[in-house]
Amino acid sequence: MHNLYSRFNNLTALLSSCMMALLAAIALSSLVLTADPKGEVHITSVKVIPRKHASKKQDLAFVNFNITADLTPLFHWNTKQLFLTLEAEYTNTQGVKNEVVIWDRIVRRKEDAVVSVLGKNKYMFREVSASFKNVPPAHYALKYNVMPYVGALTYGEAGRTREPVAFPPRKSHV
Amino acid sequence: MIWKGLGLITNTESPIVVVLSGSMEPAFYRGDLLFLTNSASERYHTGDITVYKVPGAAIPIVHRVLETHDKVDTSMLVPAQRMLTKGDNNHVDDIELYNGIKWLERKHIVGKVRGFLPYVGYVTIAMNDFPQLKYALIGILGLLALVQRE
Repeated sequence: MHNLYSRFNNLTALLSSCMMALLAAIALSSLVLTADPKGEVHITSVKVIPRKHASKKQDLAFVNFNITADLTPLFHWNTKQLFLTLEAEYTNTQGVKNEVVIWDRIVRRKEDAVVSVLGKNKYMFREVSASFKNVPPAHYALKYNVMPYVGALTYGEAGRTREPVAFPPRKSHV
Repeated sequence: MIWKGLGLITNTESPIVVVLSGSMEPAFYRGDLLFLTNSASERYHTGDITVYKVPGAAIPIVHRVLETHDKVDTSMLVPAQRMLTKGDNNHVDDIELYNGIKWLERKHIVGKVRGFLPYVGYVTIAMNDFPQLKYALIGILGLLALVQRE
């Protein structure tokens, strides 16, 4: 009855149950530890430049932006990292709703969570119809994804442009 | 039974997946367990992490949504979405992984990542990477069955 094997079996069973309970408690705790930090998103300039790619014409938009946000409240004991994205949101002339990520950053430490970036788009910003001509102005929003050590992934928005930003007419050079 | 029930609730063919590659590091490492849902009425947003499988691909891929383009159709509950994805740890988007498809569509998507449990799935990867381990485990179990008194 009380041989080595059954003792080992009981001990590991107890340890794994305790581990599961602890992990569940941590996962649940992050549902309570919420924060809603806000920052500022400013678009300093937008340019549209036509590119010829594989014999097809394709407009590319170049966006310069200035974002500031203090996201330190999002870091608690179950925050592994934040994934920040700056995205453009607009509806084109064909009624297609678009969300395009133009910049992202991974924040892994609380010390790096005060974000102040004067930057330009990291990813190509294209229109599905290939042209930004007559496309209505776009909103730009800074969003975050809180990624936990264990448990549920949560999402939020830290800021957006107050007024939509128009796409200017095409330019032939940068 | 539990697996199928879970699949029914979450509306996905595999509600739990194991991360097989390092393309989402440092968010997900090989062996991490992901919990998925795929609610039919929900649209996908940029920043969501999807698991998708394109025709001709051997294994499902876990990557983040970079672009969404929704064709709004009033006759349908959810808009027809076209998506582009990218792995956090990759430098370029996934267009090369789509086997000739231009955009990812809803039908390619297995689910949206909702929850995360680290390391647990590594057992399955270890058994694939080191088959000896699998045989050792089977051997030990067999031995125990023989040795143990009923």
